[in-house]
Amino acid sequence: MIKIKAKNVDVFYGKKQALYNIGLDIEENQVTALIGPSGCGKSTFLRCLNRMNDVIDICSVKGEILINDFNINDKSCDVVRLREKIGMVFQKPNPFPKTVYENISYGPTIHGMAQSKQEMDEIVETSLKKAALWEEVKDRLHEPGTGLSGGQQQRLCIARAISVRPEVILMDEPCSALDPIATAQIEELIDELKKEHTIIIVTHSMAQAARVSQNTGFFHLGHLIEHGSTDKIFKNPDNTKTQDYITGRFG
Amino acid sequence: MNLILFTFIVLLGFTSYYFGRKKAYTIQSSNKRLTALPQFYGYYLAIWCAIPAFIIFSLWAIFEPTIVKLLVLSDYSNQSYLDDELNLIYEKTKSLSRGQFTGEITPFIEASAEKYLSLRSIAQSSKAVIVLSIIIASVAYAYKRISSNSRTREPVEKFLNAVLFTASLAAILTTVGIVFSLIFQTIDFFKVIPLFDFVFGTHWYPAKAFVRDSSEALDPSMYSDTFGAVPIFAGTFFIAFIAMCVAIPIGLMSGIYLAEYASSKVRQYAKPLIEILAGIPTVVYGFFAALTVGPFLKELGTSMGLEVSAESALAAGGVMGIMIIPFISSLSDDVITSVPQSLRDGSYAMGATKSETIKRVIFPAALPGIVGSILLGVSRAIGETMIVVMASGLAANLTLNPLESTSTITAQIVVILIGDQAFGDPKTQAAFALGMSLFLVTLCLNIVALRVVKKYREKYE
Repeated sequence: MIKIKAKNVDVFYGKKQALYNIGLDIEENQVTALIGPSGCGKSTFLRCLNRMNDVIDICSVKGEILINDFNINDKSCDVVRLREKIGMVFQKPNPFPKTVYENISYGPTIHGMAQSKQEMDEIVETSLKKAALWEEVKDRLHEPGTGLSGGQQQRLCIARAISVRPEVILMDEPCSALDPIATAQIEELIDELKKEHTIIIVTHSMAQAARVSQNTGFFHLGHLIEHGSTDKIFKNPDNTKTQDYITGRFG
Repeated sequence: MNLILFTFIVLLGFTSYYFGRKKAYTIQSSNKRLTALPQFYGYYLAIWCAIPAFIIFSLWAIFEPTIVKLLVLSDYSNQSYLDDELNLIYEKTKSLSRGQFTGEITPFIEASAEKYLSLRSIAQSSKAVIVLSIIIASVAYAYKRISSNSRTREPVEKFLNAVLFTASLAAILTTVGIVFSLIFQTIDFFKVIPLFDFVFGTHWYPAKAFVRDSSEALDPSMYSDTFGAVPIFAGTFFIAFIAMCVAIPIGLMSGIYLAEYASSKVRQYAKPLIEILAGIPTVVYGFFAALTVGPFLKELGTSMGLEVSAESALAAGGVMGIMIIPFISSLSDDVITSVPQSLRDGSYAMGATKSETIKRVIFPAALPGIVGSILLGVSRAIGETMIVVMASGLAANLTLNPLESTSTITAQIVVILIGDQAFGDPKTQAAFALGMSLFLVTLCLNIVALRVVKKYREKYE
């Protein structure tokens, strides 16, 4: 089933065009990887999906992005509700300078999801469990989240993102600041999370894309060159640019 | 004469720099490897020119006057003059030699003046000769050293290190000197006035100390109930409190606006405009408070049936608050801007609005820095003088009514030290005691502020 449908998406930073006429369908409860060389626009496209580009003054987005058949670029779209449904995990772990508990309870609090302390405790516990972090932090819930290790911080950020039960999770190179062991943990986690969430991950690592994703889109210089099932893209791409990139001949 | 000599030495310094560098190029052209870049050879020579000149100039400045005085007064040594009389004669001699003497000219003094002048000119010319010959000798020595291509970079770096060290030492020694002069005068003050009376006395009336006839012996009992510092400490903190009531909300909110809401274009113009407020001299704020705000408040109060003094704590504190706004606004803007963008992104991505993000993430993260900026503002408010002197009056009332006039530590120091003062008088020493207490208060505030700011820094770097 199609969860997200992007049609004719153009993105401009001031006068400079960053994305050209992107059309891409994202399947529900699958992992879609966006790959491509640096500066190709894959992160920009990801940030279109929860309207994070609004934060950048000079950035303007044109075209339609339909999530559950609703155009999020429409004026009637409530960004707060949208971002509740579309969570995001960033390149560098960015836990708030608060306790582990407060980091998780942040989203549920601003969206008014818990009526009582017990409910909140429950949300925090399930989120941390889903992010495979509960065992490591259950005794230090009230210590600062910034005191955790890099990999733990990133899982804390994933737990924070899933605390509001989003339908889609966007991940912008979530493992680029982590060591191989922490990376393996996150990849395992992504596989687990796709049961309940649709995941879109931007990655620089071809191997990671091959390992975690079912679908892949290849971006180059602001164009979506090719997209399809990960198997096909990696084994039998239609475009020679895709072939060259995947085999490491450029990028 | 000194100016010509000085110019000459500076020229000599430049010349030796030039020759040092030239020498380095000569060494280089003979295919030898230099021990440092050519300009280090130049600096090396210039330093060898500057140091001896500086030493001789300082020695001369220290010893010349004493020696000349000794020589001039040696003519009077067979007569039995007292030291004071000799000093007087010497002063007369000096002013006569400058042609400014107006009294009766005796042949003795005339002879001394002539001797004084000739000694001075001998001293000047011998100084020139000695300085120049020593400089030439030392530059020649240094030139010989660089000719053998010995090291120049290390001595030059060491010299710079020493110069910078001396500069910071001068700053530190001045501070220490000021603190010590405060301490000793304060101790003298507390020998006459008991510490208890000063700290807990509620009556400040230093004018009473004027009444004393200087020929009378010092009687501590007559100062009882004169130097009770409670009213002026209370006044100081009260006015600072009013000022912070104005400065903290406005400064903080404008800081948040500049950092989070203003577009880059607005910020580009608004920030310098707010900082102009910080550049207005406090005297200007003072007469703004005294001539505009004070009378306005009085009129406003009268029309509402309140009794408002023309010089009120409210006028002084309010204007002082306006003066402090740019400090708090600008510092908190910097602190908020330095909160990493990734935290904002994290919060927005959770669906938080701008105000929620500021309230729940940015403000707590920036709080230590903001507290630091507020404490710096408070210590400015406590140390501010001019506005209080002009707008809040000089009578030290013990009051918590913002519409009455009250006075502060700084204003009282001004009152005490304006006009003629007798040193060693408790009234004058009271100023030092006040200065000391003010220093302690602001020192504590600054230490706390710096600690808080430092703690904040550790968090993000």
